[in-house]
Formats: sequence, structure tokens, C-alpha cells
Amino acid sequence: MDSSRRKFLFTCLGGIAAAGAGSALYPVYKYLAPQNTSANGEKVSIPASDLLPGDAKFFDFRGEAGVIVRKRSGELIALSAVCTHLGCIVQWERDKQDFLCPCHGGKYTEDGVVISGPPPRPLAKLAFTVAGGAIIVG
Amino acid sequence: MNILKSVYNWCEVRLGIKELVEKELTGYLLPRNINFWYSMGSIILFIFVMQVLTGILLLVYYIPEADKAFGSVVGIMNRVPFGWLIRMCHVIGSNMMVLFVLFHMLSVLFMGSYKSPRELNWLTGFVLFTLVQALCLTGYLLPWSQLSFWATTVATNSVGAIPHIGQFLVEFLRGGKLVGPPTLGRFYTLHIAVIPILLASVIGAHIFFLERIGVSTPPFGLDNTKNRWQGDAFRYEGHPGGIPFFPNYLLRDMTSIAIYFALLAAVVFFYPNLFFTKDTFIQANPFQTPAHIKPEWYFLANYQTLKLFPNEFIGLSIQGAAMTFLALLPFIDRGNEKHPLKRPLFLASASGGILLFIALMVWGHYS
Amino acid sequence: MNHERRMMKTLIRIGPLLLVMLMTGPGAASNVLAQEEIVCIHCHSSMPGRLGEPVKLWRDSIHAANGIACNDCHGGDPKDVANAMSPARGFLGAPKETAIPDFCGRCHVGVKKDYLQSAHGKALGKGGPTCVTCHSNHLVLKANLDIINEKNCSKCHGFEQARIIREAMQQTESLIVSIGERIDRFKGEGVDTDRLGKGLFSSRNRFHTMFHDLDVEKVKQESTQINVDLNKLAGTLDKIADQRNKRKLAGVWVVGGALLAALICYLLRKTYD
Repeated sequence: MDSSRRKFLFTCLGGIAAAGAGSALYPVYKYLAPQNTSANGEKVSIPASDLLPGDAKFFDFRGEAGVIVRKRSGELIALSAVCTHLGCIVQWERDKQDFLCPCHGGKYTEDGVVISGPPPRPLAKLAFTVAGGAIIVG
Repeated sequence: MNILKSVYNWCEVRLGIKELVEKELTGYLLPRNINFWYSMGSIILFIFVMQVLTGILLLVYYIPEADKAFGSVVGIMNRVPFGWLIRMCHVIGSNMMVLFVLFHMLSVLFMGSYKSPRELNWLTGFVLFTLVQALCLTGYLLPWSQLSFWATTVATNSVGAIPHIGQFLVEFLRGGKLVGPPTLGRFYTLHIAVIPILLASVIGAHIFFLERIGVSTPPFGLDNTKNRWQGDAFRYEGHPGGIPFFPNYLLRDMTSIAIYFALLAAVVFFYPNLFFTKDTFIQANPFQTPAHIKPEWYFLANYQTLKLFPNEFIGLSIQGAAMTFLALLPFIDRGNEKHPLKRPLFLASASGGILLFIALMVWGHYS
Repeated sequence: MNHERRMMKTLIRIGPLLLVMLMTGPGAASNVLAQEEIVCIHCHSSMPGRLGEPVKLWRDSIHAANGIACNDCHGGDPKDVANAMSPARGFLGAPKETAIPDFCGRCHVGVKKDYLQSAHGKALGKGGPTCVTCHSNHLVLKANLDIINEKNCSKCHGFEQARIIREAMQQTESLIVSIGERIDRFKGEGVDTDRLGKGLFSSRNRFHTMFHDLDVEKVKQESTQINVDLNKLAGTLDKIADQRNKRKLAGVWVVGGALLAALICYLLRKTYD
């Protein structure tokens, strides 16, 4: 009787051990497995003709505000419009060709470089390509 | 079953494992009146293995640079799949390690197992205790949070109280005048390489000493609880008629380890913030000291002691003296009585010491 | 003599000596580094009356909590006593009433613009309120709806108009506060609330600039849009809460499984006894 009881208990233990090993190895596997980077990969497309020199266009990029600027020189640049200070959305000053944050007066150049005020870092750049008359961000 | 038997035979004719199994497993006998306190050692070993495994996994994503460390830990907690689980096991595990080391030490103290001929076991155990504390201290800095940074500042400041060489020691520990990137570099090296290697070696010595002299007999349930060691020759303390290690006591150890694991899981899943304060989640700012920085619970008694004495050096010396006393205990306490109730002076001092430690800890928490 | 008795005697002899040693020792131990303070505070904190009061008030303000000190508004050199109040180093002194919006507006650009366009701004210098009227000058606190209250508004006119606007904004304000509290709680649990905090901050500021607008219709319109954004934030927070509940559920299984394993090992051992 004792021996069959022992066998039963060993089988139970084996089962729990297997379940335990599985529930330990699964998280470790997922932890180590390479993740597909660059978040969602959704792209935003803007017609190039929408932007005249000196203009900036704001758009929603993967849940956050982004902005495309066509500088007076004709060159394009895509930036995150989220101020690096505390997260307000910066405004484009057409007359001064710079960004001004209405919350605490942070100022950035048309390239997103900090001129003055509390922002600790420049505006993050966004990757974009121009193809067939459209600007594709992302 | 047949496969297992043939593998066993294959190994047996090449390694003679039958003899080893008989000597170390089925024939290794433990005293019949052994109690669950004797499992503390295996629980600690299990915790150590878990800490090493979770630590290695954390190494995959942790970046040991001052301006990137905090961000990498935030990434582990929020973006790496199950990163939170690995990190929480490591944090909670480190606290459990200290707790169970204290339990282990207390049980050895109360059952008189530190007495002759087991002085070497006690000494290596004391070294292990110190190394565990060093692991906790160095590991604390690695997340580079406000708590990490300032707790390390306070802790490294305290050695400055040593006369003449104090300031030099502080700067050597920190790698500079203040805690900064050099501190992270050296604490990281200590935490992942130097101390674990030392720990593993001393654990090896500790277990070797245990096996060599034999497990001590608990003094409970016996008429004669005196230590019968004479000191004239080496005598292995066997336990004829005792419980075999394999499978009996191994199963007992496994039960204890499973209960420990349930405790760990309960804290990791239901009380993960037990050891966190809000400063744990703010990146270190060398220019802003938070209002209430306190060390972790296991260092609170030390912290409160330092606060009590107007002269830091005296505060440090008191603690140094206490630790030295503890380390040399088997040489100071040469009585051969092992039952705690038959050792009134020991019982009074030990209980007093424990109560003092807890009182200082609670005081430190509320002060 | 018994070993323990011998030890007792030794202790009794050296005990008092130890005690005396412990009580002596000069100097105070100071473990925590003191925060740097600017020269303005060195002098003004110990001055009586009108000159010293601002320091006390400022210490409880949101400016102080964010590292904005005297020189950030008043100019001057914060490290050099000789030039602390030198106009050459940008010292502006206390602004005259009509210069107050410019003073605060050097940083709070958007608010200044809204204020100047509003009825309050147009009444500047003609009995109208300045920033300081409602926000105080040194005890500036984190802005919230409670600043629109009977006491503040009836300084100059009735509370009716203000009450309508306040009621219209109450719902959004409560939502903002509750989302803020949830984010703080999650942050204390290790969740990366950086983006959420920034999103909330942005919405909150858009909402609060409307306080300076006084146009009820515009307020209602903007509030609707802001509510949409806030509900998106709340949705993200709900997802995080869900995820954490799932983890707790998994925890029940793990703890249960471990305890079951302990039980089986225990029973197995019993079969060998």
C-alpha cells in the first residue's frame, strides 16, 4: 500500500515540477527572445504641396504630436512637437521661424535646437522620406 | 525505469558512484531529532541560486552607465516581457536572503551549534553574512534612483568617521569625492563579479566543513545536552540510527524550499512594493536630496546607532565591536552546554541583543 | 567556576567603563548633505516683516518644489552677494502693477497671451486683477479650479458669471485630478508613467489656460475636446490596471502550486518514515 501511495505522490510531484518548470521557462524565453523594435511602425503621409517655405504642419504621430517644417531654404525637417521640458505641445512662430512653448516659454530653432528657456533637450527628430509628392513620416 | 538503471550502471562502472551515493546520500545519516531550522541553510542556498539566475537575466538588459542605468531598469520593468517578474524576484529575493540568513544565524546561536569543534563553520558563516550585506549595499546603487544614490551617499559617508584614513577610504569607495559614475563602475564590478565569486567559494568551504565534522545534534528532546567534544583528536559526529539524507531529509528540505518559494511568490505578486518608496522610481539627481532618505530595513539598526552617538567614530566602533564579538563567539563562549534554556547568560544576552536590534530598527524607521 | 558565571563577572566589571565611553564624543554627525542655497535666501530669510516673509511663503510654493528661486523671476546674481541685486546682472526688483503680466509672462507665455486678450487683461491698470490677485506672488500653488472662488472673484464684482464657468469646468477638472492620482499611484509601483504624465500635463495646461479666457462658449467647446483626450488617457490607465490584475491572478496559481508542492513533498517524506 505504501509503495503505490508513494508512486502516486511521485507522479503528482512530477506533474507539479513539470508545470513549474514550464511556467518558469516560458517567461524566461519571452524575456530573452528578441522583440521587434521601432514600436508600431504606423506611418503618416502628408502631401508635399501642403507645405510652403516657412510653413509648419502639425499632425498626430503614433499617439503623440509631430510637426513637419519646410524651412525658408526649402529643406524639410520632421520633429516631435512635444516640448522636452514638461510635455506641452510647442507652437510654430511663422514670423520668427522658431518654436515657442506656451507653457513656460521654451524656445527652439526650426531644427528643434533649444535657444532659451527650461527645455533640457532638443526636440526629438522623426525619420521621414519623400516619395511621389508625399512626405511619409515613420 | 530500465533506462535509468542502465545509465546508472554505465556511470557506476566508470565513476564508482554507488559508493558515493551510499556515503553522501542514502548512507549520510542525520540526527532523529532534527528540526525545520536545519533547513534554513538549504533555503539560503536556493535563494542564492535564484539571485544568481535572476541577476544574470537582468544583466542582459541592464546598462551600467550613470545616465542610462535608470532608464534601462524602467525598460526592464515596463517594456521587456516578464522583466518585472525577474526584477521583482531579484529585489524581494535579496531581502529574503538577509531575513533567512538572520534566521539561520539565530538558530545556530540558540542550538549552540557554533561551539567546538565547529568554530570554522561559524567563522565562514560570519564571513558569508558580511558578504551578503556587501552584496545588498553594492546592488542597491545599480538602479541609480534617488533612493540608490542618496542611500549610498549616506552609507559611504559613514566610513569617513575613521580617524586619519577615513576621508581617503570614502573617496576610494566612491571613486571620487562624491557618489557618481565611478562609484557605479566599482559597485557594479563588486556586485556581479567579485563578491559572488567570493560568496560561492566561502559557501563551498562552509558546506565542506559541515560535511567533514558532521551535522550537529539539536539539543531538544535529549536528556544530556552537553557538547561531548574532547578536542584531542578528529572525530566525525555521526548519527547512527539516524535519518538518511536521501530521500528522507532531502524531501524535508524540498518541503521547506517549496514553502519559501510560496512566500516569495506571495510577496512578488501581491506586495511588490513592500520594499519600494516613491524615491525608488525617480532618477538620481545629485543636486536634490530627498526629504527622508533611509536605508533598507536590514541596515536601519546601524543607521539609528550612528544617529544616537554624537561622535560618528564611536558609533562605528560600537558596531565594529559588536560584530567582532559575534564573529569570535565560539572562542568567547567555551561552555559545553547546548540547550538554550540551560544557558541563562547566553539566553539573556541573545534575547537582549535581538530585542535591541529590533528596537533600533523600529526606531530608525519612525525617526 | 562555571564558565557563564565567569563571563557575568567580567561584564559587570567593564560595563560601566563602556557606558562612560559611549556618552562622550564631540561634534555632531551629519550624514545628509545640505542643499545649496542662493545668496538671496541667506539674507532675506532672517529679515523681519515684509522683507523676510516672501522666503517663508516661497518655500511652500510650486516654484520652490521645481527649483525655481528668487533670481529666476527677479533677476540678479544668485551666487554673488555684491551683485545679487545689481541691475547689470538683470535684477528687476518688485514689478509695478501694470508690469506684473510681463513679469510672470516671461515664462508663462501662453497664459499671458490669453490673459491680455480677456476682459481681465483689458482692465489692467484700471482696477482689473493681475496674476498676483488670484495666484499670490510668492505662495504660488499648483493651479486648480478652487482659485475661482467667491472670495477671490467678489473682490471686484459678483460671483455669478464665474460660478457658471466654474461649474462648466468642474467635471473636466475632477477627471484631471483623478487621472493625476492614478498616474501617481502607478508611478509609485514602478510603471513607466512618463508619457502618460506628459499627456496629462499637456491637457491640463490647455484646460487651465482657458481660466484666463472668461468666454463661456469657448470654454465649453474646448472642454469637450480635452475630455476626449483625457478619456484616452484613462483608457490607457485602465489597460495598465487590467494587466496588473492579471498578474495577481497568475500569482494565485504560483503560490497555490508551490504550497501544493510542499504538501506533496511532506506526504512523500512521511511514506519513508
